[in-house]
Amino acid sequence: MLELKRTLDAKGHGVLEMPSGTGKTISLLSLIVAYQRAFPLEVTKLIYCSRTVPEIEKVVEELRKLMEFYTKQTGETNNFLALALSSRKNLCIHPEVSSLRFGKEVDAKCHSMTASYIRAQRHSNPSLPTCRFYEEFDAVGRQVPLPAGVYNLDDLKDYGRRKGHCPYYTARYAILHANIVVYSYHYLLDPKIADLVSKELAKKSVVVFDEAHNIDNVCIDSMSVNITRRTLDRCQTNVETLHSTIQQIKETDAARLKQEYRRLVEGLKEANVARETDVYLANPVLPDEILKEAVPGTIRTAEHFVGFLRRFMEYLKSRLRVQHVVQESAPQFLKDIYEKVCIDRKPLRFCAERLQSLLRTLEITDIADFSAVTLISNFATLVSTYSQGFTIIIEPFEDRTPTIANPVLHFSCMDPSIAIKPVFQRFQSVIITSGTLSPLDIYPRMLDFRPVTMSSFTMTLARTCLCPLIVGRGNDQVALSSKFETREDFAVIRNYGNLLLEMSAIVPDGIVAFFTSYVYMENIVASWYEQGILENIQRNKLIFIETPDAAETSMALEKYQEACENGRGAILLSVARGKVSEGIDFVHHFGRAVVMFGVPYVYTQSRILKARLEYLRDHFQIRENDFLTFDAMRHAAQCVGRAIRGKTDYGLMVFADKRYARADKRGKLPRWIQEHLSEGSLNLTVDESVHLAKHFLRQMAQPFRQEDQLGLSLLTLEQLQSEEMLQKITQMAHQS
Amino acid sequence: MDDQGCPRCKTTKYRNPSLKLMVNVCGHTLCENCVEMLFVRGSGNCVQCDTPLRKSNFRVQLFEDPAVDKEVEIRKKVLKIYNKRDFDFPSLRVYNDYLEQVEDIVFNLTNNIDVENTKLRMEQYQKENRDVIQRNKAKLTREQEELEELLLLEQQGNEQRRLDVLQEEQRQLQAKRKNKQALLDELEQSQLPATILLAKHKARSAQLETEIEQQKQSVKPTSLFSTGIQQNQTVSLVPIPRIEEVLYQYRPLKMDTYGPPAPDLGQLGRLGYLNHVRAALPQDTAGGYTTAMACHRAMQDAFSGLFSL
Repeated sequence: MLELKRTLDAKGHGVLEMPSGTGKTISLLSLIVAYQRAFPLEVTKLIYCSRTVPEIEKVVEELRKLMEFYTKQTGETNNFLALALSSRKNLCIHPEVSSLRFGKEVDAKCHSMTASYIRAQRHSNPSLPTCRFYEEFDAVGRQVPLPAGVYNLDDLKDYGRRKGHCPYYTARYAILHANIVVYSYHYLLDPKIADLVSKELAKKSVVVFDEAHNIDNVCIDSMSVNITRRTLDRCQTNVETLHSTIQQIKETDAARLKQEYRRLVEGLKEANVARETDVYLANPVLPDEILKEAVPGTIRTAEHFVGFLRRFMEYLKSRLRVQHVVQESAPQFLKDIYEKVCIDRKPLRFCAERLQSLLRTLEITDIADFSAVTLISNFATLVSTYSQGFTIIIEPFEDRTPTIANPVLHFSCMDPSIAIKPVFQRFQSVIITSGTLSPLDIYPRMLDFRPVTMSSFTMTLARTCLCPLIVGRGNDQVALSSKFETREDFAVIRNYGNLLLEMSAIVPDGIVAFFTSYVYMENIVASWYEQGILENIQRNKLIFIETPDAAETSMALEKYQEACENGRGAILLSVARGKVSEGIDFVHHFGRAVVMFGVPYVYTQSRILKARLEYLRDHFQIRENDFLTFDAMRHAAQCVGRAIRGKTDYGLMVFADKRYARADKRGKLPRWIQEHLSEGSLNLTVDESVHLAKHFLRQMAQPFRQEDQLGLSLLTLEQLQSEEMLQKITQMAHQS
Repeated sequence: MDDQGCPRCKTTKYRNPSLKLMVNVCGHTLCENCVEMLFVRGSGNCVQCDTPLRKSNFRVQLFEDPAVDKEVEIRKKVLKIYNKRDFDFPSLRVYNDYLEQVEDIVFNLTNNIDVENTKLRMEQYQKENRDVIQRNKAKLTREQEELEELLLLEQQGNEQRRLDVLQEEQRQLQAKRKNKQALLDELEQSQLPATILLAKHKARSAQLETEIEQQKQSVKPTSLFSTGIQQNQTVSLVPIPRIEEVLYQYRPLKMDTYGPPAPDLGQLGRLGYLNHVRAALPQDTAGGYTTAMACHRAMQDAFSGLFSL
């Protein structure tokens, strides 16, 4: 709180690490809301970014509680407007459109009903489909502001149904004057979306990135493009369609093309950009990089532009025909493209904008079909705009299947600071927070910003409810490790099996085990089966396995929870960096123990990773090994952190790899785990760890009431206001 | 690419992986064998469109769509003639119009629209602008210059890095060798027992290791000037864009005091203020110091200390 206030006062940025489940969200929200109430002119808006829809919903629920508390305490209803925003797929209430399964389809369908020219056509041809919700919103919705209150996605839908307004556009419109907005990272970080949604947000906003330990990857993904042979084939059909549509329009309605042409000659910006429903593809480049100039003459007319696209596409096709891996920088690519097909840099820079204008002129409604050509043009614009921080890698086949030709062109961003820079520049305070941000100094270095505050908090606990153990050896003194040389070692696999078997015998309810990769998990489980270990484990608990398939995994999870609810509990075998490790919480009896088999390093042979490491080393002075370890440890911490979701929760954390005991690895774990890692539990055998775990579990199983926490990790109002406590607080404030 | 084949002998890439397709100016494909067979005499007609062709004009087909091959061929030819740069034009608008005109010509030639007229136009243009074309032949466009520069930078960076790594390795190797030699020498000459010497050696090599580690961590010196310009680079000779903005105008500083304004520099002597200040010695005046200056500053100080009640 103190650190946060300091950050807000200084109008700077902050990095805060707080253990998950200890009220991170509510403390952030309550302070910022209070700050907003106290200085309404200093901080006008809170933008809270989270990762997934369930997380967004959780934040809104917390906020609702906070607002209720305010009303109860102050006795007056405050006029705060808080709302969540998500994609059309989650917000649409149109009976036909909302029944579609994929987000892209919903967007396309919605667009085909609400685009301004479609609505204009409807005047002459009333039989065209319409969305009555949007019509209603357009007619009156803008004048009637959303009443103050807290809205989650369902509330918005309800409101929409009641009023007959489209909830999506209501929300889009309302975020401009809302006090608190909760939405996903992408609305700020992906320049394609941010340009549409978050363009007009005020500077005096506080931005919070929650669960931000992966923020660098999100940044990178939002600026990277992958092109396969299939993309190009689809692109080809797109270009053909464009060509035929142009011919058609030329015969029927040449004036329209002429008008567009005239506009481009004059270098006028789109006059109708304000039409919110029309803007369907924004420039992939960051706003300050967009050239403010007229479109160059080479791609001014529609036919020339189509010819240009065709040449560019054929060039890419010829590049994809390589037999060996090629890695080159953007300038090299541009030079080559000029030599081969005479394409200059400047028209390439305008490619995305020109395509956007063309699609609008042709009044093409089904944009989902044109995703391939859009992707290509985005690539063109990106590659010609940025000369640094990007690399182009063309791989003729995947590493695992060298005989099957599957050429891919990766245009990958290596510098996460490029995408996030405008956010830091635009908003007065940006706060990055998560349960696992250690080591803290690496984030400011990677994202290239200067934080005012940087700190890692621990929990104040009434009892030590987490018990991290590092198991380095098996009972037969074989060193346990998942490193490459010992992957196939039967002794290691057997000892891992023994560990899980012993744990399954003593831990009540659920155990979650994480492996380093799907392949590794398959190998181990197969040999456990051969050795009969699985059978023994199944005497104690049921076993469920996570697979790459989302539907299968969610089924396994559901059954796992069911099994934890009754009977002797279950074991879930899953993979670090998978779906389970990132977003699923195992509260209380769903996860009494987490076993981490091995250190979850990334696949280090990937060329994209190698290029990125090189870039980090040259530009940010971060050494390869540091980054790899950092990345592995943040994922390990994220995995084991799944089990502790509050102060009353308790859980075992077993790190089964001897490498965890080394200082460089251990030092990169979050502080709240390191604190409980005693010297005695650094290099245990399976037996010893079982012994310690038994002791811990017996202690934890004692009844634990709320009163026990009083005075330690929970304070009553009297205690809080007592002289002693106040003194302690001021002392702490002075110290830091 | 597998389904592509020669239209004449119907061989496909799938059946003959070493098939080489060729394209001539008309944009129609033939495989290498057919070319050899049909154009033994060095010239002949296209199988598909009957255009007279020369054997020497056959090129290997680079792209899947032979039309693109043809277009690129034509484009290169046209761009050789139409090689004006953006600084040859008074404004961007005119340049863009010119670019579009070029594009039109290429489009016409590739799609066989009005070929005769277009060719005439090109010839005429070539005659009219002969000297400009000659002049621009050697010049690169500004964007290409930029690209070249970037490439150069990249190369230099890579080279530098490679050299650094090499040097570093060599230094380390040398240090280690020296260390080893020192141990051998000591063992040979010293009177101390070998175990102590060995322990010493061990400590020394550990120290060496840590030193190497530290060196790796330290930031390498950059090859940049303090202005941000790369050392020994070629600077592009593009004229600096003129900055069009209002000239700076000097406005004398006006002090706000709560009271009468402080007296001017000229007034000080007249009003007798200078009598209260030590007169400047000849040594002081050498640097441009005058008596009035100190006095003036003191006066300003005093006046700005006034308060309104």
